[in-house]
Amino acid sequence: MQERGGNGMAAYLVFLEQRDGILAEASVNLWHRVQHHAVPGADRVSGFVAGPLRPGALEPLFGAGVVHHAAEERLARSSETTLSRLLAALAAREAITDIVIASTSAGKRLAPCLAQATGASLLSGCVAGGFQEPVCRRPIHCGSILVACVPEAPVRIYLQDRLPQVLFTGTEHPRSVAFDIVPHLDADEKMNPAVRSITEISRQRDISEAGIIVAGGRGMGGPEGFLLLEKLAALLGGSVGASRSAVDEGWRPHGDQIGQTGKSVSPDLYIAAGISGALQHLAGLSAARTIVAINADPDAPVFGVADYGIVGDVLAVLPRLIDVLGDVLPKK
Amino acid sequence: MNIAVCICEVPDPVLPVTVTDGTPDLSRVSRIMNPYDEYAVEEAVRLKERFPGSPVTAFTVTSSGSGREALLKALAMGADRAVEVLSASLADSFQIASMLSAAIRTTFPDALPQLVCCGRESSDYRSAAVPAMLAGMLGMAYAGAVTAFRASDGVLELERETEGGVECLEACYPLVFSAEKGLNTPRKTGIRQVMEARRKPLETLHVAPPPGPLVRFCSAEPVTRKRVCRFAASPEELAGLLLRAVQGDAGEGG
Ligand SMILES: Cc1cc2nc3c(=O)[nH]c(=O)nc-3n(C[C@H](O)[C@H](O)[C@H](O)COP(=O)(O)OP(=O)(O)OC[C@H]3O[C@@H](n4cnc5c(N)ncnc54)[C@H](O)[C@@H]3O)c2cc1C
Repeated sequence: MQERGGNGMAAYLVFLEQRDGILAEASVNLWHRVQHHAVPGADRVSGFVAGPLRPGALEPLFGAGVVHHAAEERLARSSETTLSRLLAALAAREAITDIVIASTSAGKRLAPCLAQATGASLLSGCVAGGFQEPVCRRPIHCGSILVACVPEAPVRIYLQDRLPQVLFTGTEHPRSVAFDIVPHLDADEKMNPAVRSITEISRQRDISEAGIIVAGGRGMGGPEGFLLLEKLAALLGGSVGASRSAVDEGWRPHGDQIGQTGKSVSPDLYIAAGISGALQHLAGLSAARTIVAINADPDAPVFGVADYGIVGDVLAVLPRLIDVLGDVLPKK
Repeated sequence: MNIAVCICEVPDPVLPVTVTDGTPDLSRVSRIMNPYDEYAVEEAVRLKERFPGSPVTAFTVTSSGSGREALLKALAMGADRAVEVLSASLADSFQIASMLSAAIRTTFPDALPQLVCCGRESSDYRSAAVPAMLAGMLGMAYAGAVTAFRASDGVLELERETEGGVECLEACYPLVFSAEKGLNTPRKTGIRQVMEARRKPLETLHVAPPPGPLVRFCSAEPVTRKRVCRFAASPEELAGLLLRAVQGDAGEGG
C-alpha cells in the first residue's frame, strides 16, 4: 500500500529533540530504530535539531546520514510553530518521504503543525512501530478497537510512541551540517507564541518514555503510599505513574496520569498497585508488554489483563517486595 | 472581540465500542461532550465574563447529525450562539479541520475571531491534530495543550506541561489554543441554564465538502485484552516473577 519515494526508496527525516543542549533519549532511540529499519545504500536517513548543543551532544547517534543543525541561540526553546516552519522547509528541500517524531510532549504538539504545513498524512499512536510497517494500526475507542490507517499523501509523518530499544552501534556517526534559518525566519521576527521559561518540577524520566512504570491508584491510600512506589521505581530504574483517581485526589501531578484522559504509555513492564483496572485506565496501556497487578480485591478487573498478580494489601506487599528486590538488584 | 470554541461529541466511555462489518458500531453508545472540550468552553466563557463584549460562538462539525447535545451544553455553560456544521463525510482530522476553518470563515466574513479555543484531543481517536491544523488553515498562531491561560492588555501568558516541568509561553491575539486538563474546573449547569440554552440561537450551516482525507481508517477489529494472570502466593514469589520480566529485556538500559 505504501508508496516509497519516487523510485521505491524512502528518505527519512528524524526530528531530534534537545533539552538544555542534550538530545532527548526518546529521539536517540528513534533515530536508531530508523537506522535499523532503513535499507543501506537505498534509503536515506537524516535528522534535524534546533538550538545550541553541548559539545559531543550528537555522539550518541550512530549510523550513516546527515544531521541538519540550526544552532541559533534563539532556537534553544522553540515553539511547535517555529519548528514546523523550519522542518517543512527542510523536508521540501531534501525531498523527504517519511518524517519520524518521538511522541514526547513537544513531539505531540509539533506533529500536527507540521502535517498542516507540509500537507502530509499524520499517523500517530500506531502500535508496533508505524514507520516499520506498510500499514499502521492504532487503538481507538479506549483501546477496545484496532484500526488500520492508510496514508493518502505522498509524505508521511509518524508520531511514534516508545519502542523497545534496538542495539545499533558501529563506527559510523552521522555528519552534522549547519542548517541556515535565514531564509525561513527573519532576524528580528517576534515569535508568537514565544517560550519564555521552563520550570523543572520533576527529574524522573517521563512515563511516556519509560521502559518500566510503577503506577498507583486510589488503593495507595494517599501521597505517602506513593513513597513506596518511588522506592520500587528507583530500584527497578523505572518511573512512577498514576490512575486518574490518584491524580484527582491531588496525590500526583496530572503529567503522571495514565489512561484515556492522560498519557498512553508503552513500557516493557507495568506494575499497577491499588488500581482497579477501569476501561479508561486500560486505554493508556495498549502497548504495555508485561503487566503486573497488586490489588486487595481478587475480582478486580485489572487481574483480567495482567500477566502476573498478587492479591493483598499494597501496604503489606510493597515493603516486602522492595526488601527482596533490594537484596538482589544492584542499586540504580 | 469574538471568541470561537470548537467542540465535538464522543462515545461515553462507560461501555466498550464494538465492531460491526469492519467499522466501529456506534449505534448503541450514548454520547457526551468530549471531556477536553469542557475545559475549552469554560475558558472561553470565563474570558467573556472578564471582558464584556466578547461573545462566544460554539462550533461542531458532524456527518451524523450528532453534536446538538454538545452544542446545547456549551450554550448552557454560557456560550452565546452555536453553529452546527453538516458534512457528507468526515474521515480524518484534516477534513474536520478544513470544515471548521470554512465554517468559522463563513460565520465571521469580515474579521476572524481573535481567539479560538479547542480541547486537547477527542477521547475517541486521540489524534490531537484538529486544533493545530485549524490554526494553520486560519493563519493564526497556535499553542497546544495549555494548562494556564492569563490575559491582560492583549498579552497572553500561557503554561503547559513538558517532560518533567512547566513551560511558560507569551503569545498575542489572534490565537488558537487547545485546552489540557488542569486549565480550569468546568462549571456544572442546572435546569435554569439548560432552559436558557434552548432560547439561544443554534444555526445549521452547510459548507462546501472538504478535500479528500489524508488518512483513511479501515479494517477495524475488536481487541481482546484478556490475559491469563499467574498469581503469586507471596511477595517473594512476585519478586522472582518481576526479576524474570526485567532481566528478560536485553534492550532496556536502566
Ligand atoms: C471520561 C472519563 C475519562 C477517564 N479517564 C481516565 C484516565 O485517563 N485514567 C484513569 O486512570 N482513569 C480515568 N477515568 C476514571 C476511571 O473510570 C476510574 O474511575 C479510575 O481509573 C479508577 O482509579 P483507581 O483504579 O485508582 O481507583 P478505584 O477504581 O477506586 O480502585 C481502587 C482499587 O484499589 C484497590 N485497593 C484499595 N485499597 C487497597 C489496598 N490497601 N491494597 C491493595 N489494593 C487496594 C481496590 O480493590 C480497587 O481495585 C476516566 C473516567 C471518565 C468518565
